[in-house]
Amino acid sequence: MRKKTYAVAALFAAAALTLSACGSGDSGSDNAVAEVSTETGADKAATVLDKPFEKPDLVLTDTHGKKYDLREATAGKPTLIYFGYTNCPDVCPLTMNNIAVAKKQLAQDKKLSQAEKDSLRIVFVTTDPERDTPAALGKWLKGIDSDVVGLTGSFDTIQAGARTLGISIEAPTKGKDGKVTSMHGTQVIAFSPKTDGGYVLYGEDATVDDYTKDLPALIKGAKP
Amino acid sequence: MTRRTASAAALVAAAALILTGCGDSDSGGSGGSGGGLSVGSAYMPQPVSDSMAAGFLVIANDGGAGDHLASVTSDVAGEVTIHTTVGQSMEQVKDLDIPAHGKLVLESGGDHLMFEKLKRKPKEGDTVSLELRFTKSDPIKVEMPVKSATYQPSTATKSASQSSSQSSSRSSSHSAARAAAFPATSPMPALSALSTTSHH
Repeated sequence: MRKKTYAVAALFAAAALTLSACGSGDSGSDNAVAEVSTETGADKAATVLDKPFEKPDLVLTDTHGKKYDLREATAGKPTLIYFGYTNCPDVCPLTMNNIAVAKKQLAQDKKLSQAEKDSLRIVFVTTDPERDTPAALGKWLKGIDSDVVGLTGSFDTIQAGARTLGISIEAPTKGKDGKVTSMHGTQVIAFSPKTDGGYVLYGEDATVDDYTKDLPALIKGAKP
Repeated sequence: MTRRTASAAALVAAAALILTGCGDSDSGGSGGSGGGLSVGSAYMPQPVSDSMAAGFLVIANDGGAGDHLASVTSDVAGEVTIHTTVGQSMEQVKDLDIPAHGKLVLESGGDHLMFEKLKRKPKEGDTVSLELRFTKSDPIKVEMPVKSATYQPSTATKSASQSSSQSSSRSSSHSAARAAAFPATSPMPALSALSTTSHH
């Protein structure tokens, strides 16, 4: 089992390294290399970062068509961020539904106050802004959890924001048959309400149970 | 989590399954009318909207000749396409290889079927009908149950073989070992899918 943890950590590290190796000319994008703690319990889905990511300075448009400043809107609030797109049948809806179901189960948690439960922010940033208009995002998220904040905007802004979190996404491409191929992010990042730093990563394999178990700690900014 | 409780039984079961994967023993006989092809572990996670859905299944080939999954049709969708996952994106492919004495595993995070132009939004508890067509074998009809949006075959069942499949999935690689640990398919696709349901 321990080996597995290392494997996951290595994957993240590799992804981050790849990024810094081929970051397309954006010299300003600071160190995206994730330093991960290998003490993260042998069979946990969560990877706790030794050096948390700074919250990206993303100012985008929400599902109501209003300006949404990520740092301002989520300051001091436990926040989960995922990059994906709605024309994605498999991984994106699964990831978002896993989080949404875990969030619903928080209602039964007796140790957290209602205010703590309400403080959780779940943010879905599209990687396919051309197709994912505010309306399209809103419709899709309504099928998952209408409390989720859906953000869209210019692809370059989104790509740069993702990059600071070690997430590499390329712009959607259109094939000869007119079909669009988009990319989704590889991980969910949890930001602490105490520091606003992105300190925990979840890979695609994280399940409802993983999130359900960890959300109470994440809401308090503790290590899961 | 069940992961922790991997028992000796799980190990034995996993070993047996890997053997099956290597084609050293028969993997449950041939199903449908295809030559040596059988389909199992079929499910569709309840989709978010009425625009698209994904579907997963395992096609086992205990015959000596390889085949290809060439096309799929369904009663719920105007179009069903075959997709493969390349890194962080999903690409449509013309067909997928079903190796002789092997299996084609369509699973979350890997190869999958994409249902578009849905005629209705499939809901948990529904069943979707599919017809799989192959390059060589005869078509196979599959009744695919619609599961919850967060359904994952490896976590939803408590069987020993499944928990071994989960621990390998944790490495987040879609390796041959993971495919080998997939439960053996039964000749009746619907039955196999239903047996999964009963644990849920």
